[in-house]
Parts: sequence; C-alpha cells; structure tokens
Amino acid sequence: MSQTYNPAAIMGNADTHSGVTNAKLGVWLFLASEIMLFATLFTSYIVLRMGSTSWPWGWDVLNVPLATLNTVILISSSVTIVMAYAKAYDKDKSGFQRWMAATILLSLGFLVVKAFEYGHEFALGIGPHTSVFYAIYFTMTGLHGLHILGGVAVNGGLLYMSAREEHWRNPLFLGRVEGAGLYWHFVDIVWIFLFPALYLL
Amino acid sequence: MSKNDDAQRDEHRPDVGLYVKVFGALMILTIITVAISKLHLPRPQAIALGLFVALIKAGLVGALFMHLWGESKLIHRALWITVGGAAILILPLIDCVLVANKITSPPDVASQHPSGEHAEEH
Amino acid sequence: MAHGHPELSFREKYVFSVDHKVIGLQYLITSFCFLLVGFGLMGLMRWQLAFPGTPIPLFGHLFPADLAPNGVMSGEFYNALGAMHGTIMVFLGVVPLAVGAYGNYVLPLQIGAPDMAFPRMNMMSYWLYLPGGVIMLASFLMPGGAAQSGWTSYPPLSIINPGQTVWLLSMVILITSSLLGAINFLVTTINMRAPGMSLWRMPVFVWAQFVTAILLLLAFPPLEAASVLQLMDRVFHTSFYMPKDLVILGEAYKGSGGGQPLLWQHLFWFLAHPEVYVLVLPPMGIVAEIIANNTRKPLHGYKTMVFSMIAIGVMSFMVWAHHMFISGMSASLGNFFLVTTMIISVPSVALMTCLVFSLKGGSIRYSVPMLFALAFIPLFAVGGLTGLPLGLTVTDIYLHDTYYVIGHFHFVVVSGSIIALMGGTYHWFPKWYGRKMNDSLGLVHFWGTTATMVGIFLPMLFMGMAGASRRLYDPTAQLHNLPVQGWNVVSTYSAYLLALFQLPFIYNFFHSMWAGEKTPENPWQATTLEWACPSPPPHGNFEKTPTVHRGPYEYSVPGRKTDFWMQTDKS
Repeated sequence: MSQTYNPAAIMGNADTHSGVTNAKLGVWLFLASEIMLFATLFTSYIVLRMGSTSWPWGWDVLNVPLATLNTVILISSSVTIVMAYAKAYDKDKSGFQRWMAATILLSLGFLVVKAFEYGHEFALGIGPHTSVFYAIYFTMTGLHGLHILGGVAVNGGLLYMSAREEHWRNPLFLGRVEGAGLYWHFVDIVWIFLFPALYLL
Repeated sequence: MSKNDDAQRDEHRPDVGLYVKVFGALMILTIITVAISKLHLPRPQAIALGLFVALIKAGLVGALFMHLWGESKLIHRALWITVGGAAILILPLIDCVLVANKITSPPDVASQHPSGEHAEEH
Repeated sequence: MAHGHPELSFREKYVFSVDHKVIGLQYLITSFCFLLVGFGLMGLMRWQLAFPGTPIPLFGHLFPADLAPNGVMSGEFYNALGAMHGTIMVFLGVVPLAVGAYGNYVLPLQIGAPDMAFPRMNMMSYWLYLPGGVIMLASFLMPGGAAQSGWTSYPPLSIINPGQTVWLLSMVILITSSLLGAINFLVTTINMRAPGMSLWRMPVFVWAQFVTAILLLLAFPPLEAASVLQLMDRVFHTSFYMPKDLVILGEAYKGSGGGQPLLWQHLFWFLAHPEVYVLVLPPMGIVAEIIANNTRKPLHGYKTMVFSMIAIGVMSFMVWAHHMFISGMSASLGNFFLVTTMIISVPSVALMTCLVFSLKGGSIRYSVPMLFALAFIPLFAVGGLTGLPLGLTVTDIYLHDTYYVIGHFHFVVVSGSIIALMGGTYHWFPKWYGRKMNDSLGLVHFWGTTATMVGIFLPMLFMGMAGASRRLYDPTAQLHNLPVQGWNVVSTYSAYLLALFQLPFIYNFFHSMWAGEKTPENPWQATTLEWACPSPPPHGNFEKTPTVHRGPYEYSVPGRKTDFWMQTDKS
C-alpha cells in the first residue's frame, strides 16, 4: 500500500526531518509507553510489597533453577536476534533466516519452560488468588509471556517475509528488522528486572 | 538522495565481536546475580545489590544491543522524558505507602505464604 | 511525486480507509454520536434527580422491570447510568472528538504532510475505538447491568459490583487505540512537516495536539496496567486492591486480601489528571486558531502560549493526588500536591490571558465559530477558577463529593471543551465538505447552547456549596438538600432545552453537507496550511509539497494589500 504514497510520507522532507526514520521513532515511542506500563507494574509490586509485613523469598516458593535457565534462554535470544540484524544488514538472506529461526525457537523454549513452571504451581493448587505475592508473580510473568508471544508473531512475520526477494529490495526491510530487535531487547530487559525481583530478592 | 541512502542513514553498523562480548558479560552477570541471592545477605543489601546488577545488565542490552550508544539525541530525549514520567509515578507512591505504614501498621497484612510446605517440593 | 491513485472501492474509501481525512471524519461522526448517547443517559438521570420516585416520562416503560419498575428508575440503574455517562463522555466522546477527529483531520494539513506517518495504524486506531465503544455500550445488556462504580471505578466497590469486567475490557481496547494514535501524532509532527515548517512556525493547534499526544503516550499505560490488575482481581480473584479482612454485606471476602485499595486511586488519577488536559488543550488550540483568524491580528504571545502548554503538560503529571485529599493518603503528600496544583494554575492563566489579549485592538469578525471561541473564554474561566477551592486541602474537605465538583468539572469540559469543539466544527466545515454551515441556524445553536449550559451547571455550584452530595440517587433523602432541590429542577429543564438546541446543529450539519453554500478554497482568509489545498483535499492532500516561509499568524501585516499572509506565500 505504501507505494501509492508520496515519498515524503515515508521519508519526510530533508530539512524538517529529525533524521530518525518514522518506523524507528514509532518503535521507540511504543517502547516508551511499554516502559510506563511495566513501571506501573513494578510500582504496584513495590507498593504491595512495602504494604506487607512479610514477603516470601523466591527460593522458597518458586523454581529458581528453571527461571535461571529461562534467563539464559532469553539473553541468548537477544544475541541471536542482533546477529539476525547483522546478517540482514549484510543482505545475507540465509544467515538472517538461520538466526531469526534460532530466535523464534529460543522464545518458544522460554514459553515451554514457563509453562512447566506454571503447570507445577497449578498442580499444587497455587494460583493468582493464593496470595498477593502469587498475584503479582502470575500477572507480571503472564504479561511478560504475552509480550514474548507478540514477539514470536512479529519475528515469525519477518522470517516469512524474508523468503520473498521483493522485501530484500525494500529499503524499509532492514528498519523493520531493527524495530523487531528493539522490541525483543526490551522484552529481555523486562525479564532482567523481573527475574531478581520475583525469584531472588 | 536516493531512497536507499535515506533508509540506511540511521541504521547502525553491526559489530558482531562486540555482541559476543556482551553475551559473555550478560551470562557472567546472571551467574553473579544468582550467586548473590544465595549469600543470604540481609534483605536491604541483597535488594540493592540485585538491582545494581540488573541495572548493569539492562544498561548493556540497552546501550549496545539496542544501539542507544550513539543513537540520535531525539530518542535519548524521548527516553529521558519517559524515565522522568516513571519516576514521578513511583516516588510519591512509595512515600505514600511508607507514611501509611507508619500510621496504621496493622500487625498482619502480609500475604503470608506457608513457605515451608512447598519449598522442598520445588 | 505521483498522485495517481487507483480507483478505490467503497469499502476502501469510506469504511477501512487509510486516509487521515476520512478517518478524522469517522472519528467526528462516531464521537458526536457517543456524545449524544452519553447525553441521553444523563437526561434519564436528571429526571430522577429533579423528580425522584416519579416515572420517567415517554421512556420509562421501555426499560425492563428490573431496571425501572413501573417506569421509576432503580438505584442500580441510576448508578450504572452515572458510571456510563462519565466513561462515555470522557473516553468515547470528548477525547476522540478532540484528538481523533480534529487532530487527525487538521494536524497533517496544518504541518503540510500528505498523510499521517502510519496510515494503516491510524485506521487501526479507529477500528479499535469503535468496537471498544460498542463493547462499552453492550455492557448494559449484560446480566446485572453495566458498571456501577462511577467512571473512576474505585475498588473495593468496583471489584464486587456487576458489569465492571466488560468496562475493563473495553477500557483496555480504548487505551490501546489511544496509544496507537498518540504514537502516530508524535511521529507525524516530528518527521512529516513540510519544508520550512520549523517548530516555531507550527500553529498553536499543532502544538496542543503534540503536547496532548505526549500526555496520552505516558499517562495511558499506567491505567492500562491498573485495569489489568483490576481485571485480575475480578476474574482470577487476586487481591491487588482488596484489603485483608474485608466484610461485604455481612460476609467475609473470599480472596486472600493484603492489597491496597489506594493503589488504584493513585494509578487511575495518574492517568485521569493528564486526561483533563487532554480534554482541554486541543480545544484551547482550536480557540486560538479561531481567534487569530477572526481578530485579523497575530496571537498575543504565541511563544508564551506554547511554553504554557508545555508547562501544563509537565505539571499535569504531578498534580493527580489532589483528587484524593480525603482518601486517607498521607498529609505530607497532600501538601505537596496542593502546591503543585497551585503551580499548574499559573500557565493555565497565562494561556487564557494570551487569548484575551489577542482580542485587544482587533477588528473582530463575529462569525459563528468566533462566537463559540468568545464564549469559551469566560465559561472556561469559571470552570478553572472554581477549581481552585478544590485544589486547596482545607476547602476541598468541605466541597469534595458535593455537586460543586460536578459543576466545576462540567464548566471546564462541557462549556469549555465542547463549546470550543463545536466552534471547530463551524470553522473547519468548509474544509471538510467545501460548503459552509448555515449562519442563522448556527446562531440559534450558539445562543441556545451557551445559555442552557450555564442553566445546567451554575445550579450545581449552588447546590454543592449548600452541601448536596453528588452521589445521591434520591437527593430528597437528605433533609439539608431540600432547600436547594429547586435548583435540580432548573438544571434538569435546562438539560432538556440543551438537547432541543442541538437539533438545529444536527440538521445544519447534515443539510449543509449536501446543500450548504459552496465556499472557495480559503473562505476565512486564513494563513495556516490547511487552507492552502483544495476543500475537501484529495488523497495525499497537497498537489505539490508546500513550502513554508513564515509563522502561522501573519495577519494585517503593514504594507500588504490583503490583511492575511499565508504561510505558503513567497511574497
């Protein structure tokens, strides 16, 4: 559809353009709203925790080894997606596809591990209703999991698009890959904070 | 200016060697953060240390994977405004809870979890 | 630059359009419809308030017996109407009208852009907004009825009342729609300006939309998160907002407890205060455009106005807890928010002062849009000034939860924002349809609307100062309300008259769309870019990307033949 537009619709006018492409600016502004979203959840976490006289320790009530494994998986996926970007930058189609597929597999792996964790907790009769700690644990990890799912969809879409030559000729394709990467790193950063907040401290 | 130049001008040149180094650093920091939590420090210290390590990790990802290092000023500004907004949200709320706790301080508002029961099952 | 577009089907052109102008008009019509719906709900409530316990005339027997037995409104129905009136008016009426409709249509034109930065995302915003609104309305059909906990949805009440789950779902959808819109507006303003359109050449309306978009972007996600937490409380029985040992109707609450009810209030008002400025800034921008155009002179203090808007935007994040002075939060926090609230009134007054000074020495054209803009100033000022006693902790303790608050808020948003938005319709109608709205009908609409609005809201201030509670289903239940009950009747009849005075507006709108007087490209002799393209503009807006040579309000420049100097004119 975009090809029916005035080029200025995509590229802007040289002298009033900020120098950052629309797509990248849009992704960063979206991430700004996501920062506010997760900041609110962390605020709620802090408020609820400070309002409680005691708070369980992650090692006692959650599965820390599994969560550590998930941390490793997610950090690895952050590296694979940045490698996919490097390959896309070099217009290396098969390299891009390999690293992107690895990213998607790692994200699915993360979700599988998460499902084991949830399954175990549900089997013990523990759910979000059990206590405020579990409420915040399930809500935050659940929302984070939804973000992972969204990332899988976006990355899968890019992988699908990369099969067609015309997208490699589109100057906007690399920007899309970079945008997906930015989002994915953000999801990783959220987990970097979630992991100690819920499991370790 | 051709279309191609225009789109390329603000993409970052990837640096694969750097990415691998960052990956190593993140892995080491993950081990450190788990190890710290096993030291059984008093909670305030443990929280401070844990947050500190998490901040370093997030900083590495943000600065080098997300290319914030060397990113345009516009995006830096947008992020600082966002961080300011988040700080405004968090700080008064913490104050609020602190004061409320001092005044009312009910003996048992905790969401007590019978930690002994499930600990060995995990 | 090719502008040859393939012929679009009806569906692509009018339903799932990616053209910002079509989307803007979709927003315009939809949000005006929601305003009417919200107004209708209020009409039912006002009957109950003026004549408690009597059957609602005409409509009373249309409602099922559990809502209105024998045509008399039940308490639950009254509460649902109240909650839905607030929600619909704010989130489905005024914000989409101010931002979705005017912002969408006018902002890209005023900066000389061919469209929004992300046209398809723009379409998605609208197509999330509409289903979100329909879901909100559909909650009336749910078992137990619509949400009944006010538009603020304070827990624990909101956790145990029926209807709230649908409300929350709808809010999450609406917030997502607003966020997409905000990102689009920001990127468009930052990246898509025409050559020469530097930041200090942007019209005040563009600045207003820009600041508004920042507010939406940063303030809406906290409410989204808070809504998710409330949804968890309702659906999965968590206790984020439920304190321990809560007893409801003699029964202990079954959840674990241990949550913080005040947390919701903080998160809600963290959005909802910036939201008030979202309701007010774009209308102020519209008023500034209309005033500059009709006084035929530059705005007084353009930069002051812009900096005031930015200051309002920054400060609006630091005043939210003045809605919570009597909630039991800490007193020191109350003092902090008292001070910030007094500070934010400074840029607001600066803005209003600039608008008033802009009139000084102008040869004013009393066109219909100008009348609306002129009415905005005193009516909004009443709304703003009546807010000061609410921002001071001492007076707020007495006035909180009385009709005074309702009167204040409605003076700001109805006789302020909505008046300005109606003026905007008369001002930009020639742009939308290439035709003019009828002036005589416009005059009837203007005088009727402003007079009846004052008739509705002034009595509320009186009742509030007499101590009438704003949450009573039957005001006569409290003895001290009886002396002021007469004002409720005045208010109710004024509301019905207001409804009557909207008929000429509706007729005028649709009649002028097809049969209005045809107008030239720039009928108001305006200077800004939206008048530098055909009316209505084609897909892609400008035949040639315009180049901007000067600031937005070059009226009556000495030594020129015409009294306006368009931004695109080279000399």
